Amino acid sequence: MTPPLLQVPHTSRTAGAADLVTQYWPVLLPVALGFAAVYLLLPRARRYPPLWGAAAAGLALAAAGSLLIRHETDLAESILFYIFAGLAISFGGLMICQRNPVHAALSFAMVVLSTCGLFLLQAAPFLMAATIIIYAGAIVVTFLFVIMLAQQAGLSSADQRSHEPFLATVAGFILLASLLCVLQKSYTSLDHFVERAERAAQASTVAEWQAILGKDESFFTEFREAVRPDRHPRRQDANDPTVVARTNLKNALENAATTWSALTPGEDGKAGQFGPDTVTTFKGQLEKVVEKAHSLRQMQGSLQPAENLPLSTASGTPPNKPAAIVDGKPVERLPAGNAAGLGRALFTDYLLAVELAGTLLLVATIGAIAIAGRRPEGLR
Amino acid sequence: MTPATLQNYLIVGAVLFVLGMIGFLCRRNMILMFLSAEMMLQGVAINLVSFAHYRGNLQGQVFVLFMLTVAACEAAIALALVLILYKSRKTLDVSVWQDLREPDLEPVEDEEPLPPPPPQERLPRLPPAAPAPPQPQEPSHV
Repeated sequence: MTPPLLQVPHTSRTAGAADLVTQYWPVLLPVALGFAAVYLLLPRARRYPPLWGAAAAGLALAAAGSLLIRHETDLAESILFYIFAGLAISFGGLMICQRNPVHAALSFAMVVLSTCGLFLLQAAPFLMAATIIIYAGAIVVTFLFVIMLAQQAGLSSADQRSHEPFLATVAGFILLASLLCVLQKSYTSLDHFVERAERAAQASTVAEWQAILGKDESFFTEFREAVRPDRHPRRQDANDPTVVARTNLKNALENAATTWSALTPGEDGKAGQFGPDTVTTFKGQLEKVVEKAHSLRQMQGSLQPAENLPLSTASGTPPNKPAAIVDGKPVERLPAGNAAGLGRALFTDYLLAVELAGTLLLVATIGAIAIAGRRPEGLR
Repeated sequence: MTPATLQNYLIVGAVLFVLGMIGFLCRRNMILMFLSAEMMLQGVAINLVSFAHYRGNLQGQVFVLFMLTVAACEAAIALALVLILYKSRKTLDVSVWQDLREPDLEPVEDEEPLPPPPPQERLPRLPPAAPAPPQPQEPSHV
């Protein structure tokens, strides 16, 4: 099935608002529902029925969940991701919509705990422990103490009203919509083509290929347009790994397109002249296209460190390099060496920053005591 | 970790950040405003950790550790300030501090009155030097 996101040709640079909506409606739908939910649920003097907001929030979560794409990951990880992400987002929404500040602080503790689950899924066990101890253990408890000290009279009128709820929600959700559209555009623009090329590489007869790729060269033309190396004019360095990957993929596509034009019937409807070698060659070329596309998708946006970048090995090993040898032993890859690697990185690469952070903590302690420690003269 | 997986974590981080931003902009309780700022930090932390996982090294995680430090400092200072502000005006509402606004801005006033508080249920009170008044007892199943 073709995602509606990708049916619009890439040439429509000056798309208007209507085009934007048709192009990105799978992203904009949960954003609009979330907008409605947060706007309806924010505290105000005359409240809307909370059931409407809760229904909108549930729909938004379901729409956003169906939007997320899971590729080649095992089922347990997907389920855990959905649980933790859903908990984090729903308790985050609950936190800003709660009238009672104590309940809001407890919801924030739940947000922190779900975030820690996400950290654990991303191979960061030390950070998970540190975040639970510092946030849930120290910061939230301090907040609760302050609420207890400051709000002994019960709910104040400040908690039952919000400040410009409409404008604040509009601003937040416009930011969210633009972030999600950019993410969608940069991370899923290749998936559709790659999936078709994979299916084509599985097939082995001209009829099957025509069913998948169409009867003309449009698949190759559009794919080539999507990966054109000069689409990012700022990155013209020929040694850049992304540019190299794009150029490789473009060359593979051009080879395959040439062979494909020999396989397809011409203008007069007659099949071109080809032998069994051509079919084999085309299959090989398609496999090459799939391989190059996978490698490009792995490094899209040049997020992987360059091969020749002088990174220290203390921060773990980049995935495109063999494991470095320190003291005769290879550096452990994530996550087994997480705590050890963090310690090594902190005290080699980031030693100055650690000292500065310690100084900052000391200054903050003294400052907090100096600010809050004043007592009336009579008590001394 | 594939780019699609990375994208999922980035989406969660963006949603947490935006929810925190909305909370910071429209809540009027000072403590809730600081909690919302902390939630924005959580969204950023998710982004950094997922990039660290995606690139296969620890730079993002080290950055999150420093963020934790700064967040702890920020919470200490902010709560001390909140206590000072509370002591001087006896409320946590930020809008009582709106006399610090720019001179050409209109003051914000609450238009709609709050609904009356729900009537409090009267608790039974023991009369002095008398037996307890009869109260409906639920049947016990122990």
